[in-house]
Amino acid sequence: MNGFEQTLTTGIEGGTIILYPALGELIGERAGIVNLGTEGCMLGGALAAIVVGSITGSAWLGVLAGFGAGAVVGLAHALLVVKRNANQLASGLVLWFLALGLTSVLGANYVSAIVTPLPVIKVTGLGSIPWIGPIFFDHDPLVYVSYVLVAVVTWALYRTRLGLVIRATGERPEVVAVAGRRPDWIQIGAVTFGAALAGVGGAQLSVGYVGNWSDDMTNGYGFIAVAVVLFAAWRPLLVLAGSYLFGVALAAASVLEAHGVQVNQYFLDALPYLVTLLALVLLGRSGGRRAPEGLTRALTNSS
Amino acid sequence: MSATAPELSQSPTVAERFDEAKKKFVETRGWRRLGVVLVIYFVFLALFGALVATQKVNPLGVYNTIYHSALLSTGSIPEVILRAVPIVLAALAVSVPARAGLVNVGGEGQLIVGAVAATGVGVQLGNSVPGFVGWILMAIAGMAAGALWGGVAGLLRVVANANEAVTTLLLNFIANDVMLYLLYQPWKDPTGGGQPESRPLSSHEILPKLFGSSINLGVIIALAAVLVLWYILKRSGWGFALRVVGGNPEAARRASLPVKRLMISSMAVGGSLAGLGGMLYLAGTQLQLFPGGTATYGYIAFLAAFLGRNDPIKVTFAALLFAAIAISAPGLQLNYGLDGNVVDALLAFIVLAPLVLTSRRKGAF
Repeated sequence: MNGFEQTLTTGIEGGTIILYPALGELIGERAGIVNLGTEGCMLGGALAAIVVGSITGSAWLGVLAGFGAGAVVGLAHALLVVKRNANQLASGLVLWFLALGLTSVLGANYVSAIVTPLPVIKVTGLGSIPWIGPIFFDHDPLVYVSYVLVAVVTWALYRTRLGLVIRATGERPEVVAVAGRRPDWIQIGAVTFGAALAGVGGAQLSVGYVGNWSDDMTNGYGFIAVAVVLFAAWRPLLVLAGSYLFGVALAAASVLEAHGVQVNQYFLDALPYLVTLLALVLLGRSGGRRAPEGLTRALTNSS
Repeated sequence: MSATAPELSQSPTVAERFDEAKKKFVETRGWRRLGVVLVIYFVFLALFGALVATQKVNPLGVYNTIYHSALLSTGSIPEVILRAVPIVLAALAVSVPARAGLVNVGGEGQLIVGAVAATGVGVQLGNSVPGFVGWILMAIAGMAAGALWGGVAGLLRVVANANEAVTTLLLNFIANDVMLYLLYQPWKDPTGGGQPESRPLSSHEILPKLFGSSINLGVIIALAAVLVLWYILKRSGWGFALRVVGGNPEAARRASLPVKRLMISSMAVGGSLAGLGGMLYLAGTQLQLFPGGTATYGYIAFLAAFLGRNDPIKVTFAALLFAAIAISAPGLQLNYGLDGNVVDALLAFIVLAPLVLTSRRKGAF
């Protein structure tokens, strides 16, 4: 396996860490609510996965716990924003900070906990295709679930009544209310489900990618996920591409080092953030016009 | 922040009417609202107590430790004030752009680049210039670096429509990597025993202590910055223009205000304040640059700005409160074996209370 292939393979694996929260954030933002607490949802998910995984010995139950932990943080955010009219950006950041403190304290006993990571399964047939096989079909099962999830989310958003209602809520909640639905509960549902996916992203990081818990281990990935949704202009397939772009930037660091290429380590550490920032700048202008209307009000503070 | 813009509202929904009625009810019963506030704070303090109780630590002991380290033990009050310096300035870095409706979450990165630039200048100068020249040059370097870091985010918002809350967050991580690079490679102190630290500032570059206490010149400068800013935001044309932009950008544009320039300048001024905070903390308290020196003060500052509703005076009190809680972290670690980040949870709980209470208000927050 050459370095290029290895970068892409690790890039898919790492990109999945971003893909889950970014897809979740996409759903929430389509309903008109931005969740900067995505970082906190990931932290909660990462720790919950390790705790439950190490107690029960099952990484899968850990992933489920990550899903639940993310949902709890997201529900808090949704209730504050929808029911209490709290500022979306402030609420998200406060919940991130809360999650940071909570997971540091609760996770202190689990720093050395070891969870048997999710198994790497090579898909029969597809995995044997030269080049494509090892890159896309030789991963832990959460990666495969994410492929399916992108398709399902795309289909649900654009082809189902529920998706239509979610998107309409993000544009004009009044219209949804007039049509006899409850936009507030739709938003709460969308944000909570999206945050639960962020929790799965955290679980992919802790029990899928790294295999243990460390303080503040999400390292800003949740914020990157939010940025990915912005520059992907709220389209699931572009979210997929953006997540893998980030994953490759993340993987490039370790692969280059392993091959003895002399690139500054700190530059490589900063690379994912730089790439995200650059994408945001280059694509943000065209993407902004596609923003859900309700979200534009939230992001420019003009509501 | 006052509600300056007329609300272009659609006809109110049932939920909105209900909220209006509820708001009136709450407003007419001030004592009732006070009671609600107290109950919410009590619930959150109890939740925090439950959190430490899960670590088999007595919650009352924890609160006692916080109280002691903040107020009672010797030298604790000057210590709180010194810690509050970077928090206050980084909080002002949030408040100034907030006037223009911008969300600057980059206080952490702006503190870091301010301290980094000040270190660069300070270590380079060494003993070659008299102390006060050194302070001024270090302060200029720190403010310029902070202004650059904040201004870039403002520029990206204006030219590329990149949301400044997200870009400033990303810039925080980049600032940290820049600092780590410098500390692990070119700036590493050869006599530092392998620790990633810069060379210490020379003794006369350190801000002088005042009144025979551990309070240094940085506290006076920070205080002056608060008062000057309070005046500028309240009375100057620039401050007024920022409020117009924050209240209703469209109206500002039609009044031929330079909206884009105002947005960028508010971010740059905010960033320069945080950069100054980084410099003052370096030259007054830390005396050399090391990783994690800012200890999430930039984020704590964001919470302080929120709690103080972006009013410089109130923000200062919020920053003092948060500094007092933040300095108890080592004590909690030492006495109870709690992770130092436990204070982050307490700070977040304190800020959650007003979020829970938010009703329909306008403004950046």
